[in-house]
Amino acid sequence: MSQDLVTDRLIDFIRERFLAGDPNGELTVETPLLEWGVLDSLNTAVLLTHIRDEMGITISPVHINGRNFATVASIAALITSIPVVSAS
Amino acid sequence: MNTAESGVAVADLAAVPSRSGSLHRLVRQAADRYPDRPAVTAPDGALSYAELDRRADALAGQLAGLGVGRGDRVVIWTEKSCAAIVAMQAVLRLGAAYVPLDGATPVARAGLVARNCAARAVCVPTERLAPITAELGGTVGYVDIELDALGAGEPDRYDQPVGPDELAYILYTSGSTGVPKGVCITHRNARSFVDWAVAELDVRPDDRLANHAPLTFDLSVLDIYAAFAAGASVHLVSKELAYAPTQLVEFLRSQRISIWYSVPSVLTLMMRSGGLLDEPAPDVLRVVLFAGEPFPIPHVRRLARWTSARLLNLYGPTETNVCTYHEVQPADLTRDRPVPIGRASCGDVVWAVRPDGSRAELGEEGELLVDGPTVMAGYWGREPHRGTYPTGDVVRVLADGAYDYVGRRDHMVKVRGHRIELGEIEATLNAHPDVHDAAVVVTGDGMYANLEAFVVPVEGRSPGVLGLKRHSAQSLPTYMIVDRVHLVPELPRTRNGKVDRAKLAALGGEPVMQNVS
Repeated sequence: MSQDLVTDRLIDFIRERFLAGDPNGELTVETPLLEWGVLDSLNTAVLLTHIRDEMGITISPVHINGRNFATVASIAALITSIPVVSAS
Repeated sequence: MNTAESGVAVADLAAVPSRSGSLHRLVRQAADRYPDRPAVTAPDGALSYAELDRRADALAGQLAGLGVGRGDRVVIWTEKSCAAIVAMQAVLRLGAAYVPLDGATPVARAGLVARNCAARAVCVPTERLAPITAELGGTVGYVDIELDALGAGEPDRYDQPVGPDELAYILYTSGSTGVPKGVCITHRNARSFVDWAVAELDVRPDDRLANHAPLTFDLSVLDIYAAFAAGASVHLVSKELAYAPTQLVEFLRSQRISIWYSVPSVLTLMMRSGGLLDEPAPDVLRVVLFAGEPFPIPHVRRLARWTSARLLNLYGPTETNVCTYHEVQPADLTRDRPVPIGRASCGDVVWAVRPDGSRAELGEEGELLVDGPTVMAGYWGREPHRGTYPTGDVVRVLADGAYDYVGRRDHMVKVRGHRIELGEIEATLNAHPDVHDAAVVVTGDGMYANLEAFVVPVEGRSPGVLGLKRHSAQSLPTYMIVDRVHLVPELPRTRNGKVDRAKLAALGGEPVMQNVS
């Protein structure tokens, strides 16, 4: 998956799931997700499950940190850096 | 401490200072006895006691160079890490008090807290040096606490004797009027709790304690300092991992945790979604502690069937640390109500009073009062607290000096163990230029509790959820940022004019944005 495609899918998911569709279109790739409480700890867990189930990528606990999950851009960069093990 | 800065009476410097009763003595003692044993593991690495001891002295030297000394406050604003633990020990070694702030705290709030407690210095990782300096200017000193910034070599040793009533740390909690309150905890407060926990749990050098709670949350005091008191190790769960069920279960197993402590909703999450019960309980797991919210009996029963570990419920507001406890017994597993909060601990005395102030009898409900060595010195900048602390929690009197938790007297709520004053969130939302009025309720429960805001917008405006989150993040910790926003033409009121929270709670649950413009 290209980084652009991953980015679009992450934006769509976060808008629908955590921001009631974001009708004012405020979410960007650089929105500070942790700082603004978009990804609280529970939402991070929901997002990890989505990435696992929908993209087939399991993110190791060592990569789950504040830097990698700061923005959509940083999450997309993390995901595209991980080789897909299972394409199920 | 300068009492002109704070009404809290901690300035009793005439009291005989001592090292033995201080919180910082614990690491030095462990380092002398067990220099090579592991002290801390965290996402940024691991430290033996000798390393923790040396780095704490190195950082204390830097802080001393900035003028930090006995009676000062130092803000520690960082992720859960070895560096954070080092910084806490460094501050204590100078006889100062630390003020921990979550790494995700917005810079404006970090600045607000630093100004509120008149901090002498702020400890941050490299990337936050520029933003916090821009926020606070030259009024405080700054230290970069990234582990590799502490260098090698033999630093000077710092071990400032302190009196038992001097401050060890300040925990900022939600305040009902919209301003956070700094709960001032003395060395006596902290050691009364830690020493009790070490004895009650028989913590030993080979124990491995998980630290699930944020460092800003008083559950973490047990994890960290009971470990240090015994020469055991503490294993920090990063914030991002804190609610990831399968990763948490993996953490518990791979780190060979022997003492686990978290809010009940996290244990429920691990059982329901993390596969905790799929494999036999690890033999090394010998104590499971929980606190912060009621634990429904069906979940306790599943946990008790799975593990032979001792299960203990601890109770206490931040202002009293832990003041009661109850060890789960087989007979508890058939009750209808959650696990009792139990009887007094840590040398405290607790009792319940009726609304008229008289003592509640067996079977009756009343507000729980606490007196004893764990009761805080007061809130920073306010009158010192003396004597009995009224918890605001309603309890029922059981036999043998034990109590059941019933509920709150006010609008304070708990979401995943975090205590929250809804009024503080509402005051923040009301300060947004597009918001005419706002009310916040909690919907759902346990792991799936949500903060839902009902917002009456200024005419012609329709503030979005992200904009309101951004606004809230300027002044609130992330766990107080609302999950959902409903725009409504007006707030429902009860007959006496108060916001009808029950009606709002019934309306919530669906993440609907109604556009009323």
